[in-house]
Amino acid sequence: MSTSLIPQESLDRIGAVLAGPITVTIEQREAQRYAYAVGDENPVYFDEAAAQAAGYRTLTVPPTFVTHALVQPKSAEELRTDGLYRDGTGVRLEVSRMMFGGEEWDFLAPVCVGDQITATTRLAALDQKEGSKGPFVRQVRETTYVNQDGVEVARSRQIGIAR
Amino acid sequence: MSQITIADVSVGDTLPVMEKAATEAQLFLYSAASHNPHRIHYDREYAGVEGHADLLVHGPLQGSWLTQFLTDWAGPGGRLLNVNWQNRASAYPNEVVTFHGTVTAIDPDNGIVDLDVEERSPDGRVIMPGTARVSLPGGAA
Repeated sequence: MSTSLIPQESLDRIGAVLAGPITVTIEQREAQRYAYAVGDENPVYFDEAAAQAAGYRTLTVPPTFVTHALVQPKSAEELRTDGLYRDGTGVRLEVSRMMFGGEEWDFLAPVCVGDQITATTRLAALDQKEGSKGPFVRQVRETTYVNQDGVEVARSRQIGIAR
Repeated sequence: MSQITIADVSVGDTLPVMEKAATEAQLFLYSAASHNPHRIHYDREYAGVEGHADLLVHGPLQGSWLTQFLTDWAGPGGRLLNVNWQNRASAYPNEVVTFHGTVTAIDPDNGIVDLDVEERSPDGRVIMPGTARVSLPGGAA
């Protein structure tokens, strides 16, 4: 067994709030930019009448866009060598590389343009595992998204692989 | 566009295959639109330093391709209720990846469909497996 990549201080944070609550407004231009970047030109993101015909109050947004809408502006001075921001909310690990491992989403109610979404992220899990390329850490961050009416609209679990 | 209903669906049905291929420009646009400055998506030399064969297609972009695959199938009256995916292997720009889906269970009363989904590389390897739950119009409840 190799040495631990997870300091005790990080293990102690399991269950703790890592970020938020922060509140953002879902902006039409940002959501449409995202949809175009994906290549998902569903009329419910672009055509008010189509969105309403589909049962939405107004334009809706690509399902996972809400997580990207929450990214806070930061100075380029805070970029690390790998291009990621030094993250004050990050969990300290003895690793140099972070890879995206996957996501789990529950979509509980529609998100529409103009909604005010409040997100809170917790450290849901932190496990060290042995892989074919050596030890790695699996980190799960769970985020809840609540709209201006107090309705939970989505919940995500984002899985990071660090080694 | 005709709207699929729960009565149209049977266990074992497969979804129409969706193809995607990201150019470097699309990777750039996605980095910008998702506020993601990770260097492995735009700096080929740096991606090599991290041991990657090429620039990498963002995991969340593949995730949004997957949700597009599902919402296109479900139609405007359908709703995506749940999706999960594992980014098991890398996807690279300019290669054609395909999205596949199979209906695994149906709850006709509530109009709920469960699916197995996967993204495959050009050589047919599963690079992103997952599952999803969709609601369709026409449930009896």
